[in-house]
Amino acid sequence: MKGFLGVGSWKLEVIVMAIGLLVAVFPRPGEGQAYKAPRTASGQPDLNGFWQALNTAHWDLEAHEAAPGPVLQLGAAYAVPPGPGVVMDGPIPYRVDALAMKKKYAADALREDAEVKCYLPGVPRMMYMPYPVQIVQSDSTIMMMSEFASALRTIYMNSTTRPPADTWMGWSNGKWDGDTLVIDSQGFMGSTVGALDQEGTIHVRFLDRAGNYHTDGLHVVERIRRTGPDHLLYQATIEDPNVYTRPWTISMPLYRRLEPNMQLGEFKCEEFVGDLVFGKYQRK
Amino acid sequence: MRNAFIAALVACSVASIGAQDRQTTPVKGTYKVPRTPDGRPDLQGYWTNLTYTPFERPKELANKPLYSEQEAIDAFNKAVADSQNQVVHYVNTDFAATPVQTGAKPNRRTSLVIDPADGRVPPLTPDAQKREAARLAADRPAPLARTWRDDRGTVWCVFHDRSVPSLMAPYGSNYHIVQSRDWVVLEYEWNSEHRLIPLDGRPHGPSSVRTYAGDARGHWEGDTLVVETINFNEKRNFFGSPGTFTLVDRFTRVAGDTIMHTYTVEDSSTWTRPWTVELPMHRINGPMLEYACNENNADAFTTLRNARAQEAGKLPPPDRTKNVDDAKATILEREDKK
Repeated sequence: MKGFLGVGSWKLEVIVMAIGLLVAVFPRPGEGQAYKAPRTASGQPDLNGFWQALNTAHWDLEAHEAAPGPVLQLGAAYAVPPGPGVVMDGPIPYRVDALAMKKKYAADALREDAEVKCYLPGVPRMMYMPYPVQIVQSDSTIMMMSEFASALRTIYMNSTTRPPADTWMGWSNGKWDGDTLVIDSQGFMGSTVGALDQEGTIHVRFLDRAGNYHTDGLHVVERIRRTGPDHLLYQATIEDPNVYTRPWTISMPLYRRLEPNMQLGEFKCEEFVGDLVFGKYQRK
Repeated sequence: MRNAFIAALVACSVASIGAQDRQTTPVKGTYKVPRTPDGRPDLQGYWTNLTYTPFERPKELANKPLYSEQEAIDAFNKAVADSQNQVVHYVNTDFAATPVQTGAKPNRRTSLVIDPADGRVPPLTPDAQKREAARLAADRPAPLARTWRDDRGTVWCVFHDRSVPSLMAPYGSNYHIVQSRDWVVLEYEWNSEHRLIPLDGRPHGPSSVRTYAGDARGHWEGDTLVVETINFNEKRNFFGSPGTFTLVDRFTRVAGDTIMHTYTVEDSSTWTRPWTVELPMHRINGPMLEYACNENNADAFTTLRNARAQEAGKLPPPDRTKNVDDAKATILEREDKK
């Protein structure tokens, strides 16, 4: 039986269309390579500026339908917009036990998701939250700062230092692979298990609001390069043997914020969540 | 929070290694400020403004703005010795957080305030005196914390007030500076507060947007980075000014191991005149780790939970601060057990 494209069986057409879709959504490794990134004074590809994802990855890294939001009173204002997903080689390869845990954590997202509590978002989550990211680049150090929770990551160029301690934003070593900045990050805090506030404990760290998660076993390798004057291609390979059966990769463009007066605003969200986090211990 | 504190101190101790054998300040006028590839003065790296020089000049030194070199060394050594005798809830020597371990240096100044000439913050205007009196009367702390807002000292993670304008701290006084052509990042260890300073000549933002860190704009004047910051919010209180002050910072490298940092604050609705602070920054080795304060804030949780338990009579009232001998005895007792 021929499919509606008339080129072969319908199964083949589905495969052809799927490949076409993948090519359309995810730039191939060679695409944009022709673009030569402008250089800093010391000759590095220039990544300075304000960048932001324009997608729904912060809601769910995987393809998802529209859905009502988690708080009835917020109605359509905080409903989940649909999205085609940013996972290149999905579905996310969860271990069987970890997939069950994902569903459990997702059902308890308002309590379990550290974004709600204004905790530092970690990597790669910081890069595709709906907040701008500023890159300030010098030869030996690249700073990436998110507006969310004033999160900051320091990328130590050409360093082989191992993480001295687990931190919320992890430890990042960077190097240039041609025009691509390659960042290897590990040393991530995986939970607050064992802390005094047992009811407030977060057991894992969310990668998005859908409950996709990682533990302290996280290892991220990011590849970032300019594909045009106002675009970065951002890819991150995510590995965590506690959760996934193999490494997997997300890919998305980041767009330059072009406003001439662009700067990171002060978003000290701790101030907005104190009553939520400590409410039951406060005097009315 | 406690974990973050320890992590920060680990960074401190890493930072201290090798800080002792750095080059000393060369003769004034011969030092050539290094440049970034963009040709700008290079302020990058790790620095500390830890100091044992008092903020305001002590009354007994009223007419002595400068020590001799030997007096400065003696005063520093005495301060170091005193710091190891203080009541602390962390043991400074254990965490490599004493002045000698963290790159602090003797200072010939007898106060950090260098203008007015008496080395003291100028008096409040009559209106500001009334305003401050009213604020303090309304702000009287409750004996037990009611909400997370009540203890700005230890459980409050929103903003670290010492980061801007720069004030001395007993530890964690470390900075990491990174520059691109158009921006300077001044990261402070406490709370990982970071000032993002544009150098592209843009005007200040609107005064309707007021923030804890203020709205900073920088430019180069010769070898000096000059940063003007305004639009602080009313939740700041800087020596009586409710965020209405203008801050002008000046950072100049004067030696391989020293940035001279001065700042002037001005607020005619608060002080009778502008005043200026000089707070040198000395080079230390990095790295400087993340200071995660809000994440699992055990101090806030414990303070509030215990306060409620105390109200309910389920927990005895908090201990009075232990005196020096008690604190030392506790430390010695622990040492004995090792």
